[in-house]
Order: sequence, then C-alpha cells, then structure tokens
Amino acid sequence: MENPNEHIDFLESGPLAPLKKWSAKWSLWPCHFITSCCGVELAHAFACGYDGERLGTLNLGISRQSNFIIIEGTITRKMARALKFVYGQMPDPKFVNVIGACGERGGIFWNSYNITHPSDIVPVDFFIPGCPVTPESLLRGVRALQDKIMGVDKKTIEFKKVELPFEEKLEERMVPTSPKIYAPTPEIKVDVKRVVDWDFGKELEHTLRKELKGLFESITITGTNTIAIRTTPESLMEVARKLKGQMNFDHVKSVNVIEVPHERKYIVEYMASSYSVEELMPVLITIFTEIGIKNPKIQSLMSVWEGANYSERELHEFFGVWFEGNDWMGKKFLLAPDTPDLPLRKEFKIPEDRYVFEKDVEPEFMVPIEPPKDLYTPIWEEFIEEAYDSDEIVVPIGPHHPGSGHLRVTFRIKGDRIVDALPEPGFVHRSMEKLAENKLYIQNIPLFERLAINDPVNMNLAYVRTVENALGIEVPERAQYLRTILAELSRIEAFYYDAGIFSLFFGHTTGFMYCMAIREMIIEPLMHISGSRCGPSFIVPGGLRRDISDDVLGMIDNITFAIHKRAKKFESIFVTNPVTIARAKGVGVLAKEDAIRCGMVGPFLRASGVNYDVRKVAPYEAYDKLDWEVTTGDDGDCLGRFLGRLEEIRESVKIVKQGVDVVKGIKGPILSEDILGEYKEASSDIKGNFFRVFGNIVLPKGEWTTITEAARGTTLFTINSDGESNVPYRVRVMSPCWMNLKGFMEAVKGERYADFWAVYGSFGYFPPEADR
Amino acid sequence: MIDISGLISTIMNNSVNIPLLYVIYEFLLKIPVLGGIVAFLLDFSILGMPVVKSIIGFVLWKPFFTLIIIPGFATLGTMLLVLPWLERKLVGRMQWRVGPREIEPYTRGSIQLLADTFRFLFQEVIIHKDAHKHYFLQFPFLYFIPVLLPLLFINAGAAGHPLVPIQTDYALQIMIALVSLMPVFIIGAAWAANNRFSFIGAVREAFMYFAYEIPFIIAVLAMIVLYGTSNTAEVISGVNQSSWLNWGIILNPFAALTFFIAMAMATSRLPFDIPEADQEVAFGPFVEYTGIVFGLAYIMAYEKAYVLAAIMTMLFFGGGSGPVIPYLGELSYGIWFVVKTLIILLVLVNLRGVYPRYRIDQALSIGWGAMLTLALFALVWSVVVVVVIGVII
Repeated sequence: MENPNEHIDFLESGPLAPLKKWSAKWSLWPCHFITSCCGVELAHAFACGYDGERLGTLNLGISRQSNFIIIEGTITRKMARALKFVYGQMPDPKFVNVIGACGERGGIFWNSYNITHPSDIVPVDFFIPGCPVTPESLLRGVRALQDKIMGVDKKTIEFKKVELPFEEKLEERMVPTSPKIYAPTPEIKVDVKRVVDWDFGKELEHTLRKELKGLFESITITGTNTIAIRTTPESLMEVARKLKGQMNFDHVKSVNVIEVPHERKYIVEYMASSYSVEELMPVLITIFTEIGIKNPKIQSLMSVWEGANYSERELHEFFGVWFEGNDWMGKKFLLAPDTPDLPLRKEFKIPEDRYVFEKDVEPEFMVPIEPPKDLYTPIWEEFIEEAYDSDEIVVPIGPHHPGSGHLRVTFRIKGDRIVDALPEPGFVHRSMEKLAENKLYIQNIPLFERLAINDPVNMNLAYVRTVENALGIEVPERAQYLRTILAELSRIEAFYYDAGIFSLFFGHTTGFMYCMAIREMIIEPLMHISGSRCGPSFIVPGGLRRDISDDVLGMIDNITFAIHKRAKKFESIFVTNPVTIARAKGVGVLAKEDAIRCGMVGPFLRASGVNYDVRKVAPYEAYDKLDWEVTTGDDGDCLGRFLGRLEEIRESVKIVKQGVDVVKGIKGPILSEDILGEYKEASSDIKGNFFRVFGNIVLPKGEWTTITEAARGTTLFTINSDGESNVPYRVRVMSPCWMNLKGFMEAVKGERYADFWAVYGSFGYFPPEADR
Repeated sequence: MIDISGLISTIMNNSVNIPLLYVIYEFLLKIPVLGGIVAFLLDFSILGMPVVKSIIGFVLWKPFFTLIIIPGFATLGTMLLVLPWLERKLVGRMQWRVGPREIEPYTRGSIQLLADTFRFLFQEVIIHKDAHKHYFLQFPFLYFIPVLLPLLFINAGAAGHPLVPIQTDYALQIMIALVSLMPVFIIGAAWAANNRFSFIGAVREAFMYFAYEIPFIIAVLAMIVLYGTSNTAEVISGVNQSSWLNWGIILNPFAALTFFIAMAMATSRLPFDIPEADQEVAFGPFVEYTGIVFGLAYIMAYEKAYVLAAIMTMLFFGGGSGPVIPYLGELSYGIWFVVKTLIILLVLVNLRGVYPRYRIDQALSIGWGAMLTLALFALVWSVVVVVVIGVII
C-alpha cells in the first residue's frame, strides 16, 4: 500500500487516458463483499427501486472479473483474511468503497474484540456512513467514485457553522451519559425462587422430584414456565438422559456458561424443552451445575441432545470450558486463529463504551485491531487426507462466493453427491454478548437489533420482552397491538428477503427483484414510524417510543393490499415455475425426528411437521386476541419450507389487518406507568425524558429467560443480573439461524452439489444472525 | 498486365443490387455545386481505373459484402455490441428496473457495452501460478476459429437471391461440425485454469455437450431430409420458403423446438446455465480469467448464439425472405434476415428473466430423454412430410 492512489494514477497515464478513465467510470463492476447487515441494503440498491445498474455497475460477485469492491459493514478478524485475499485476486485497476459505520471505525461494535478496520487492510476510496446505509447514499458513493476517477474534486458535504437559537439551553439538552455501575462482587444466582400462579408448574416440579430422585440438589420454580434444576457435574448427564427419556424433553434450547471470577467458578447450564408433548412446549427446564475455574471440565451433553453441539464448541472458545465428549474441543470454530483467547471471561476487558470522546484523548484499545498477517484460515488436514483417500473431491465454498454469503462450508463430494459438509461460521461474529455486558440495558436495544437487520422488530421485541419480564411490567393494550403489527410487518419483510435470496440462488434474478420490491413497500411505513429503513429501535421496555398516528395505520392497511397484488406476480413467475418446483421438491428432506433431534426452530421446524409456534404456545403481546393459524407442513423438503413461509406471510397479513382494525378503536397510553415512575407526562411520547426514564434500569437479581418467535424461529434471550449493576452481567442470545445450522448441515448431506443452494435458500440462513 | 476492366466487370456483374444508391446519386447530381463534385469524384480515375466507383463496386461485390457486412463480421460486431445491452434493458424491464442508462441518457445507455469492452481491455490480465500458462492464454483465442468460420456459410438471402460467401453442398455439415467443436476449447480452457470450480464447470460442460449435441444434429438432419439439400443457398429456396406457409417451423415444428432448446443448452443460457452457474461454480470454466481474455470468453457465448440463431433463421424461418422493401433491392433480404435473427436472439436471452436454473441431472434427462425423442420424431415427421409433398406435387 505504498501509493494509495496508484490505480487512479494508472488511469491517468498514457495517451489513452481519457478512454481509460471513461471506460472505468462507466463500468464499475462491484464484487460485492457481503460481510454484514449492510448487504441487505446493497441488495436494495441493486434491485428495482434504486437500480444500481443504471450507473453501469453490474453486480457480479466474482473477484477475478470485477474491478470494484463494496465492503458492506463489519470486517471481522476472520473476514479480514478473505478481504485481503479477494482484493489480491482482483485485476488492476481496482477501487474500494466501504459502506456502513462499522466499516469505518467499528460503529456500534467499535470496542468489539473481533473486528478490524478495512482501511488497515486495503486502500479505501470512499467511506459511506450510516447504520445501515441507505441505498441512496450507497449509490451516491458510486457516483462519488466515478467523479474521483474522472478527476473531478467534489466536496460531498460543505460544512457551515450554524448559529443555534437555543444555545443557552444547550447544556440542558445534552444527552446525559448515565454512569455505569458495576458491582464489585456481584452475586450471581441462577435459581432465584419466585412465587408464581402456575399450577402445572407445581405438578411438574413434583414429577421432576420423583423422577430425578437423588440426582439433583434443588429444584426451583424461577418464574412462569421456567424451572431450574441444580445438580452436580457428575450427575448432569444422568439428569439429561432422564429428562429426555422419561420426561420427553427432546431438544435443548440454549447452552450457557456464566463465569463468576470472584467465587472461582463457572455455572454451566442447559435449557431443555419439548416438541413432542403439548403441555411441555412452553416449559423451559434449566439444568445447571457449578465447576471450578481451574481446569474446567464437564461432560458434553451432545450425545443426549445433538442440538447442543455447536453451542458447546462456541462456549469452549469463549470461556475455555472443556466439554468432554465433544470432538471439537481444542479447535477453533467461531473465532479466528488470532482472536484473543477466551474473550468472554471477565478478566478480558474491552474499552469502556462512550459516545463522545474529549479532544486530545486517544481511546485506549486493549483489543488488537491490527489486521492479520497470514492469508488463510486452513482447512483441517485430516479432513483433506481422509477425503482424498476415499476418492472424493474437497470443495470449499465461501466466505466469498457468489452464492454463499459469509459462511464457509467445506464439502466432500463423491461424484455429484455431497458426502460430508463442514460448516465454518463466525465470519460475522461481532461479539454482541461481550459488548452487551458493557452497555446499559437501554443501550443494548440497537445492538441486538443488528442481529438480523432484515427482521429488526422481532429482535428488538425479543430483547425488550426479557427486560420487561424481569421488571414485571405490563404493557398497555394499545402498545401491545402496535407491537404485534410491527413485529408481523418485520416478519413479512424477513420472509421476502429469504424468498428473494432463494430465487437468486436458482439464478432467477426476476424473483429476487420482485421480492425486494415488496420489501420496499414494507420498509415505507417503518420509515414513516421511526425514520429508519432497517433499524427502527422503536420498541422500548414498557411500550413504544411514540404513538403511531391513524394515517400511518391506514397506510399499513393499504400496503397489505398492495403486497397482495405484487405477491401474486411473484408467485406466477417464480413459485409456480416448473423449474423451481423441479429443483426444490423432494430436496434436502429433514424428517420430523431429525428436525427435533437437531433442535430446529421456527418455520423450518413446522415444515417438518411439528406444530410449535411460540406465538401460540406461550402467547405474548396481542397474538392470543387475534384470529390466525399456525402453518405446518409434512414434507420437510426445500419446497415445503419455502411454501410454508409464503403461507405464513398470508397469516401475517391477516394479523396486521385485524390489528390495524382493532387498534384504531383503542385509545390510551403507549408506555406503561410502571416504568415511567414520576414522568407520567411521557406516556404518549418519550421524547425528552428518554434517559431519565430508561437510563438507570436495574434488573432484579436472578436469571431471566424469554422466548420469542422471530421470523426465522425462536429467539431466546437470557439475561443474568446481580441486582446492583445497571449493566447486564451476562446476556446469552440464541438466535434462530444459529440453532438451525445443525439441521441445515444435516439436510445437505447426501444431496447433489447444486442442491446445496436450494437447501441454503430454503433455510433462509442469515449469517449475521447466526454468528451474533 | 492485369485486365482491370475485365476484373471490374466481373465484380460489377456479381454485386448486390441496391436501386436506392442510384436514386441518391441522381438526387445528388441535381444539387448545383455538390452535384458537380459528386460527378467529378465518380469520374476521377487513375490509370484508367475509376477509384471511387471501383471502391463502391468492391464493397458491393457479393463475396466481400456477404463476408464483411451482411451476414458477416459487421453484423456480428453490431450484434455483439447491441445484444447484451438489449438483454440488460429488456430483462431490466421485466424486473421493474431500467437497466444501464446514465452513460448516455438520450439513447438509453446504448453504448454501455463499449465502456465494458474498453474497461476489460485496459485491465490487468492475471495468469495465476497454478495455471498452465500457454494453454490458459491460447484457448480463448483458439475459440475464435470455430466461432468465426461458420460465418462463411450463412446465407442471408431469399429464394433465388443467395447472400452467402461460399456455396457448397456440405455447408450445414461443416457448420454443425464447427459448432460441435466449440465445447472442446471451453473444456481445454477450464483444464488449463486448474481450479476446482472450473473443473466442475468443465465436467458439467462435457455432460451437457453430449446431452444436447445428438438431438441437435438429428434436428438439423431432419431439416436436411425435408429440404433434400444441405447447401445453405438451396435450403432457402428448397421448399419455396419465400411464403411463410412453407417455413421450416410450420413444416416441422418439432425440429424447431428441439433446435431451440439445444441452442439454449449450447449457449449456456438459463434455464440451462449449468456449466457457468455463477451462484454455484462462479462462471465455471472462466472463473480464473481476467481482463480482456474474460471479455472475449464473455462475448464468445453471444457469438455462438448468433451463429446458431442464423442457422435457425435459415432452416426454420425462411432466411431473408419477406416483403420486398422498395428501392433496397437485394439488401432488403439481408435486413429481414438480421431482424429475424435478432428476434430469435432476444427470445433466447430473455429466458434469463423467466426461468431459474435446472440441475445438471435434470438437464441431462431432458437432453437424453425428451429432446432425443422429440428429435427422432422430428426426423420421422420430415420423412412423412417429404413423402406427402411428393405425392401432392
């Protein structure tokens, strides 16, 4: 990187310079480097509505033939290698635009342990800010690059000093930075007993005591639908076997490790639930045990619940807990080779989260941000040798591949059949769980929204519900309905994104464009409501930030009709297309037993014939007051999963229509009085009192777990609080895509090579959501 | 001493007859000053040879005209510049977009392909160290031979007025042989690139090649049986194709359908975009190619499509036959031919907006199953039609 302008200089040299510059200007073919959530907005920028192809930019995705990288967001330490590699592969002259705040200096993830700065790795021509960027600004970045190539020096922004009329009041209007309070010796207790009105729970506790006689230390009801079983490390396995064998708790929803350094212990916990018995469906059984901090070893429950496999690997990397029996111990799975070891331990400190730095104060980075030196994350040698011994070919897909997103899957292919598929996630691991431990409860809302930027409201809701659950807040009725409407809009949005990617993986660009067009229509009301295309952050503990006016509600109602019209066109060109049916039918079958065994969630579980939907099983918000049905299928193949989600879109539209009708008749506050306290006047609009109300939320002592049905499945949030700090002690997120990864890999095995994309698209695997 | 006047008369006797030129000439002569200049220029001669006249005559000399202008290189070049642009515009329209535009807003971005071509031309050509250097560079250029040679046998004329560079009784056979040669170079390029994806792409290309080649040859054979000749000049006038009722597509629609599907497979268009599927194997054989070499490979598929579409126009759509455009004389056949070929090509490229991609095994079963059956049926149908026509006439 001696001369950052060498590519521009090349264009300006020689007698053919004008022709060179002109052709480079109008033929910027981006090799889109999807690294994070901004990829969603890139899809919009090149789909109908914004149509980046107007500018002569043809989105290609293949490094050798393109001359322009659009880096979309976070570059993690793992992805930095891929970036370096791809940039090296591209022919000169080449240009780089970085979009998104996290591509500049980290944005919301600036103090994460796993990110690097793209400008340290490749020479960057333009930074385009925004989180996520809008398609307009992305295309403006392309125009700016075109001007730069032509040698036009344009200032994109002219800074002017503006006299503020209310300067004397500015002191009052500044955002109060709430001091963070960390308890010096926090008391972490997983099983805090609570008195709840739950008859079935008492019955269940009785049964558990009878079944697990002699194996447990205590059984506690910790809230409605949650029971905690304390046991010893030795009898953990036996308890799990009994729970699965005799009590029908057939899958694990979450695996969690909590470190308590001052007590020299780890708490390891498994949360099990049931798909096979209807009464047990909402129940979450937490089995936990404590192990010493030195040489932490515990038996892996992978042999009982296969779904725990990947989570155990992940926790091994985070905390160093050795799960005996899991074959991946001692290897890297989610993190890069040069990520700091054991990053989630409390002794590993990341910089304090601050919004404004004083001048001349350089923030101290305890986290290494220099780019990695080597180029490859190697594929395991044994794997390759074994494959070649058995006459198979090893094909790695991703992380930069036109049809892979940011996931690397290494295949062993015999003939045209996939024998084995090894996933390697973590290319977008932005360490949300660690970052959340250093933020106020209210500051975590935008953070967790970035789990899935195409399904923002559900992620927002899932986190906020956990906080509300802990604080015991009842949400006002109007807010409940409004939240339901927003969540369903978000669900439709996410499903159409997945449908678009599904059609793109079949090479059907028209279907992709139609889906993006439908998404634009849903984004429109979200913009009217919150001002942001993809990150509304609209739901806060206790209700909503603002009331939604009847005009916007009427607009939402109109849009449900407009969606219907466009959805018909999408169906006629893609869904009923004979080629689509030929490609998707009977491919990637996941039988009911396999789906339960792998702990699948959401529409992908329902497509395999399990009637489980959190919205029906443990209803929240206004779902039990509205008329809708759960969609289930029997086939469990790609077509079933795809059509099932299209069917769910219809149900969602139904919910939205009913919700809009009902909510127009309900007048009242949109924020609960429980949380407002003395600021009662803010019950219809929180503006002005935001930090006074939410700045110092402290959750009661204990562990708080909530399950919420996001678009792609059950999202589980576990917050551990010590009752003193105003930041969470530990937050555990089990996002749906992470839970579906196991089933995804199971479904791929035995299929043809080209079927991987059918299966990928049908699972709607969204790597930022999976990697967290 | 060369007999110049004899040569000129040979050229003049075998030239494309365009009455419009005489009309323009006479019109120009009537303009006071310009008329004098034109008259002087046309009479201007060196060593008894009228220079301008002989240049015009040479351009209109049939062997030259057919090879260089219609249906030869100039048409091919224009097609290559216009067709990808039209494809991007039309597919964009289908997708509720506009396609390339801002480069030249008044003509709707029509020079987009020029910019792309020059950009490829000025880009670095990377030969990675795993590649077989010589073959890696040679194969894309060798690919030109089978793509350009069929231009010698394309007939853009109508019954009785052939516009073809070389007339031979084996024209169709030679063209098919050359078209069948093309995948060899693609497979060679993929082998030289030494990349996993290009290997997979090459294997897919080879499988597809066998799947479409046999039905394709049988479909052409059916038409040869029907016309009783394989000379492209006589094919047009064989069953008097000047009337649309006698077009090949009416006489034998089965062969036309087989030919069209084979064409989609041969040019790797969706839904048979299997060897180059960018989501699966990242352009397959061409994954490692950069710069102008990739530009050649990218454009070569369109050239192949042009050759195949030209064969289809000759066999099934009556070549250049059509209503005679006044004053254009024989040129009107050429224009009809280009228009028909362009329509076929547009239908072909617009499949991209409608169909997803088949899997390789499904495409193979279509090739070896449905298409082969259809092709054999088309052959039988041709024999029947020949017999019936023979009985009637």
